[in-house]
Formats: sequence, C-alpha cells, structure tokens
Amino acid sequence: MTDTVKKKIPLKEGFWKISSEADGKPQLIGSKCKSCGEVFFPKKEKNWCIHCNKTDLEEITLSRKGKIVTFSVVLQQPGGGFYKGDVPYSYGCVKLDDGLIIETLFSADDLDSLKVGMDVELVIEKLYQDEDGNEVETFKFQPLS
Amino acid sequence: MKKLNEMREVMVAGIGLVQWGFYPELEHYDFGSEAVFNALKDADMEWKDMQAAFLGSVYQGTGSGHQVIKEIGQTGIPIVNVENACSSGSSAFRLAYQMVATEIYDIAIAVGMEKMPRGPIPSTAFRPWELQSGFNVQMANYANETVEYMHETGATVEDFARVTVKNRKNGAMNPNARFQKPVTLEEVMASRMVATPLRLFHCCPLADGAAAAILCSKDKLKSLKRSVTVVASVLTSGVYGEGMMMGGTMPSVKYPAEVGIVELSAQQAYELSGYGPEDMDVIQAYDTMASAELWDIEKLGFCKKGEAFKLLRDGVFNIDGKMPVNTDGGLMSRGHPLGATGLGQICEIVNQLRGEAGERQVKGAKIGLAHAMGAGPNSSVTIMKK
Repeated sequence: MTDTVKKKIPLKEGFWKISSEADGKPQLIGSKCKSCGEVFFPKKEKNWCIHCNKTDLEEITLSRKGKIVTFSVVLQQPGGGFYKGDVPYSYGCVKLDDGLIIETLFSADDLDSLKVGMDVELVIEKLYQDEDGNEVETFKFQPLS
Repeated sequence: MKKLNEMREVMVAGIGLVQWGFYPELEHYDFGSEAVFNALKDADMEWKDMQAAFLGSVYQGTGSGHQVIKEIGQTGIPIVNVENACSSGSSAFRLAYQMVATEIYDIAIAVGMEKMPRGPIPSTAFRPWELQSGFNVQMANYANETVEYMHETGATVEDFARVTVKNRKNGAMNPNARFQKPVTLEEVMASRMVATPLRLFHCCPLADGAAAAILCSKDKLKSLKRSVTVVASVLTSGVYGEGMMMGGTMPSVKYPAEVGIVELSAQQAYELSGYGPEDMDVIQAYDTMASAELWDIEKLGFCKKGEAFKLLRDGVFNIDGKMPVNTDGGLMSRGHPLGATGLGQICEIVNQLRGEAGERQVKGAKIGLAHAMGAGPNSSVTIMKK
C-alpha cells in the first residue's frame, strides 16, 4: 500500500530545531563568535567570523520572540519563479529579544494588521506544497496571540 | 600606491544613447551596437580607434559584450564583460577610465546594455533559500527601507509621489526616455499597491536599452570644445554592519557600520576630485524607487538626513532649482535596463556639461555627479567637469 502521508521538508536544514528544552517549541539556530561576540543567522557553515575574521564560532539558539522593525506586504508574484508560496505575503525584519535583527516572512490571518513595533514570535509553517505533495516548511514570525 | 587623480587626465570624447523602451523584437546586441555607433559618431572616431572595450550587462549571459561587438567589427582588442548589477554600466565606465588614466590605452569604450526579462526583476543576488522565501522582490526590499525612512524622518508617501511627478515632468523633455508623459500626484497615489507602502508609480519602470561612452586622453580628442573631463570614478562594495535589504543583508546590532556604502563612495569621489557636494551643478541620484531618491540625495551629502523631502517641496531639486536632480527624468522616466542605467546617468551629465540638454538644460552647469548602486551591494559615483 502506498504511503500517502505528506512529508514535511524544511526549506533548508539547520535553520531551526525543536527540542524538549524549549517545551517542544522551535528555536532558530545561529552562530556566535567567541572572539568578538557577533551573532549570525542563519548559522555559518564554515568556522569563520565575517566580522573579525577569527575561526572561533559556536552554535547557539536564538530568542523565540522579538519586535517587528519593518515589514512590507507584497502584492505581486516575485520574479524568477523561485517563490512558490502564497501571494500576497509579507516579509521584513524582526529584532529578536537577544538583540539580533533577522529577515523573515510574517504569518498573520490579516497581513494588514501587522505593525512596526509589534511583538512577534517564531513559528514553523508551510511555505508551499511541492509536486510530490510534500509540504516545504520555513520559519516565520507571527503576532503574539 | 598612486591615486588616479595623480595620473593622466581622462576625457569623455563621445556618448551614445538609444531610446529606452520595450523592444520584444530586438536583442541586446541590436541596441547595444546602435549605442556604440552613436558614440563613435558623437566622438568623430572610428571603431578601429578603440583599443579596449568594457561592456556591462546583468542578464545577457556569456559573452554578452562580444555579441554586441560582433555587430560592429572584430579588431582583436580586449573585450571584458562587466556584471555589477545596477552599477554594471558605471563599473564598465570606471574600468575604461582607469585604462586611460594609467596610460595602458589612449582610447577605450564603455557600454551598458540590457534586454530586461519581463516582470519583476528576477534578481539572483540572493542565496537560494532567500529566493525561495520571496526575499528577492526589490520593490519590497526598498519598501522595507522606506518604512524605516518614514519613521525616522516623517517623509510621507505623498512626498515620494512628488519625486515621481518631478522626474516624469523632466522625462517629458527627454527624447530617449521610455516614458515621456508627465504624471500628476493623484495618478501616482491612485496607482496600484505593489509592496506596501510603495505603489506602481513610486517604482521605476523596466526598459530595454543601451548607452555608451568613449574615454580618451586629451591629445586623442577630435573636439576639445565638446569634451568633458572625468575627475572621479569610484566604486565601493558592502560595508560590515550596514543593513542593505536589496543586497540581502541585515544590519548588525553589535557592530553597526560607521560609514555606509553610499557615503563611502561619495566621500572617496569628493576627495579624489577635490570638489564637494556644494560644487555640483547637476546631479543624477539613484531613483529605483521614489523614496530612494530622497535618501540618496542625503547620503551623497547634499543635505542632512530628513531634509530632502522638504527641499523637494520647495523646488530645490527642480531643473531651475539650486540642486537639479535627475534632469532627464531619472530611472523613473528613462526606465531601468540594469546594465545600461549607470551609463545613461553619465550621458545626461555629459549633455548638461556640454550645454546640449535642450529644454532640460541647467544654466551654466560646469560640474556634475552621477550615482548608481546595485544589489551586491555596490555603489558607484562619477564626477565630471567641463
């Protein structure tokens, strides 16, 4: 019998993890330079700090919450055919509680309800469904309920 | 290390443009070669006089410049294709300039050309996951930066609409612009929303097009009268800590940049040329989006942050104002063939300095500055004088 249950595939491996330490909630994975203290997201694949150029990076998890710095609601299909998610959609920047600013998609029932300065939290959600019926997931931030 | 301003003087001998527009039946080498023919005619030179060629484009693929020159002649000269996103044309100009300044060649040509893919720019200046996340929508990237700019300065979407109105009014006097009809503030504000808060008419239109410039040493000029001197041609790339969403970079909270990429390129250009922003008679600022023109004017040092929209309202950036900006209509009217844009800006400065800008002419223009920047990020500043 064919297994028809859809698989959930992350957009890219290593962006987030789900562990019991965080009550089973997702956490983004970044890199921290032990030499200069700079933090990067996504985590660096190579052990090289682009700020101080030392080779002393460690893997860390990032705050789950933050505030919206900017956002824009996109009303047309992005060019090139790379993006397969819904349109309209919204993306922008979030400043996490631990101080790092990251670029992210936003998730909201009403995209027009998003506001600069709004408190948001990390979720893992479907980005699109591929030809095989698998769900490609990615990280987004949504307004605190 | 020698500075370019300590080396041989470099002149612009000729410029060539084609009308920018929508040419589904033409290829990039069709309008690219036409721009070259026009530049040769303008410089009163022959193809065999060219000793090196630099051709900028973004989407035209392998040997894009070679395809252009195949329509013109084959003299065995070195041809290098230049891809620097929206600074491709000005980067090609810079390479040609450096070749002549350093006395490697006496005459070199710079060309920029682009046949744009249809629809929103499919920028690949981003990582695959960023592309799949939809982060490559340049209008949305500019919109995000616009949101921040509005918060910091109090500029409104109507202020940005005024930039479009100014540039479209100027474009109506430019026979090479894609759009030669003015638009009203109401029309801009009623155009469809593209990426909040930017509407369609806040965004520059795409276009197919080409432009060319011939650079040479003074002794090779056919006409000193119509020549223009290059006093600075500068290129910078991303500076650590500066946020640049159109380049896919977030700002660093811990280590913010002291001097941004645009400010850095402007400072270098002013230092090399010996001129300051107050000396510029005519300016080409980078108006991919109407809001970007305002912060560009500020970053180039023409006024303080947050002042530009007030000066705009006072008419300071009009052709008859104290600091004329985008006298030929800018990207808003010309359109934006990525590889050609930087050279299109340079051509207008040359027209102005020659006194050949017709009804767009800024009286007594003697020194002009052109600024282009692109995903990378990169920032290029060119200063020329009569």
